[in-house]
Amino acid sequence: MILFLQSLISGVLIGGVYALIGIGLTIIFGVMRVINFAHGEIMMIGMYMTYFLFTLFGIDPFVSVLITIPLMFAFGALLQKLFINRVLGALPQNQILLTIGLGLILSNSMMLAFTSDYKILTTSYSSSSYRLAGLSVSKPLAISFLITVVITALLYWFLKKTDTGQAIRATAQDREAAQLMGINVKRMSILAFGIGASMAGTAGALISPTYYIFPQVGSAFTLKAFVITVLGGMGSVVGATLGGVIIGVVESMSAAYISSEWKDVVVFAIFLLVLLVKPSGLMGTSRT
Amino acid sequence: MNRFSIFINRRGASPVALIAFIVIVCLLIAFPVYVGSPYARHIMILLFLSIIMGESWNIVGGYAGQYSVGHAAYFGAGAYGTMIVINASQFDADKLSELQELAKDSRLSSLLLSAHDLPPWSGIIVGMIAALILSLIIGSICFRLRGPYFVLASIAVAEIVRLTVLNLPDLTQGAEGILISTLPPFTIGSTVITTFNSKIPFYYTGLMLVLITILVTWLVQNSKAGYFFQAIREDQDAAHSLGISLTFYKNSALALSAVLTSLAGSFYAIYIKFIDPTTVLSLDLSVQIVLISIIGGIGTIFGPVVGAVVLVPLAEVLRSNLIGESLISSGMVNADSAFGNFLTENLSHAHVLIYGILVVVVILFMPDGVLGFFKALLAKKRKEAA
Repeated sequence: MILFLQSLISGVLIGGVYALIGIGLTIIFGVMRVINFAHGEIMMIGMYMTYFLFTLFGIDPFVSVLITIPLMFAFGALLQKLFINRVLGALPQNQILLTIGLGLILSNSMMLAFTSDYKILTTSYSSSSYRLAGLSVSKPLAISFLITVVITALLYWFLKKTDTGQAIRATAQDREAAQLMGINVKRMSILAFGIGASMAGTAGALISPTYYIFPQVGSAFTLKAFVITVLGGMGSVVGATLGGVIIGVVESMSAAYISSEWKDVVVFAIFLLVLLVKPSGLMGTSRT
Repeated sequence: MNRFSIFINRRGASPVALIAFIVIVCLLIAFPVYVGSPYARHIMILLFLSIIMGESWNIVGGYAGQYSVGHAAYFGAGAYGTMIVINASQFDADKLSELQELAKDSRLSSLLLSAHDLPPWSGIIVGMIAALILSLIIGSICFRLRGPYFVLASIAVAEIVRLTVLNLPDLTQGAEGILISTLPPFTIGSTVITTFNSKIPFYYTGLMLVLITILVTWLVQNSKAGYFFQAIREDQDAAHSLGISLTFYKNSALALSAVLTSLAGSFYAIYIKFIDPTTVLSLDLSVQIVLISIIGGIGTIFGPVVGAVVLVPLAEVLRSNLIGESLISSGMVNADSAFGNFLTENLSHAHVLIYGILVVVVILFMPDGVLGFFKALLAKKRKEAA
């Protein structure tokens, strides 16, 4: 029972961060119908940013989120304006290849700049944990989960209540109709990519105290982000939140009850199962 | 008629193009006789390997329009099939008795034991069969999905294959990989064809495989099945309504492509003599396989050749750090300075960067690949001339 609760808690905590990655991907897909294969690499940029803010300026990784969010937003908006914008009407394959290419450029430029050595961000609380009714809860994971909850809540509020948020949702629902209603869909696309990138970057910042930082760390997270968004339903923010938590729990449960080597196989098997049985995902609506 | 029409012929094989092709092949056959440098031969072998991979992917990706980003699975099947059997054939008595002990409770060990009795080179066929079976499984799962979902599913399956190989060390030696110090001689009957003691046999094997894959692609392009593939690529619903079985033709394209890719994997494994899951089964490899075709131009016979000719030398210049070293040896950059250090230490790590830059440039400015770009350029000039 202790083992079950323990893996449930750590699954939910890491699932929060996964949810952030998934939300970013799903917003980008929702607004532009582009699957961003560079998502993990954008997250990796966030990790390096946090690492250098910490080692050079001594800014705590969780505080640095305040700097990472606007910087990554600008970075994402730039990527959208320079590259993604040009392939919005192209074949889906070409869009995928473009983002794959961008991902390769990002990871290899980082390798060029900082070599492929593993970097570790060690804070005073990196390995400390809270004791809670016989369970141990990793301190950095718990804090990052709280920050995730706050950010997700803010994002929900932004999308639901503000005019810009509603315009973004309208664009996601029907690009042409939104345009006819006078919404500047180009601007919404830039905003969406910016938000997506800043979510990914924030996720990178939040896991950097507990994860190795290296240029190729992204691709594993790109794959995870796909699993999460497909599970939740492509384009659904609620779905991605749910998907993230589910994948986090599935991972930690299969690590505890099967073996940690096979946990990713379990995740991918679930992914295939969802693709086959319900490609629209938990929260998605079929668009065909 | 004008001077460009000799290159562009609607039926594909103009006499001039055919003669040019034969001349190039003859030059390639003569190449090792005149160029003795092992490094130049090595580059040529890498070039051949890329062409084989690109042409194989092109059948399912270019002609049938199914963008599989999981071809590393088939490449790895070929590489692992070949290496496991060759390695098993070289077990000594100690290892065998140890295996017999293990085989009592491990199926994988008994499988390895039976691999010991196979002729060493049959591993290539084992790899092909494995790739074929894998492609049928993958096809039956993934071809129900379309567009981006198919891409995602193909990646997921290839990742499952990689993780499985990684987690079955009894058979595959896991993350350690398989290393073979000496290759068994290749014999037909009792005549020794080659003992693989230089790069020459690899060169000609590679060239032969290149010609085979080009021939297969040519046959596909000019066969009824090939027309069906292209019909599916252009509009699968329309193709379906005309009575083309989507499942059958998509799966045949994938199976053919998978078997050829496994040959590329076997060739790689025999040439390098070392494989591990990171080099032969990773997502990076799948992406590189796709890029060879994309950069050259998909759905054409010579697109992947052009892609490989563009990519391999560029990647090799970066990998071997020719730029950095020549800058330093020419005295333009001091080897001990920070910049010199950067050139020698970091630049060689980033040869994949060129793949990224090229694919972005190609997608944005030459959506039909380098070959398509120049064809369009020629056609434009031709129009102006007319």
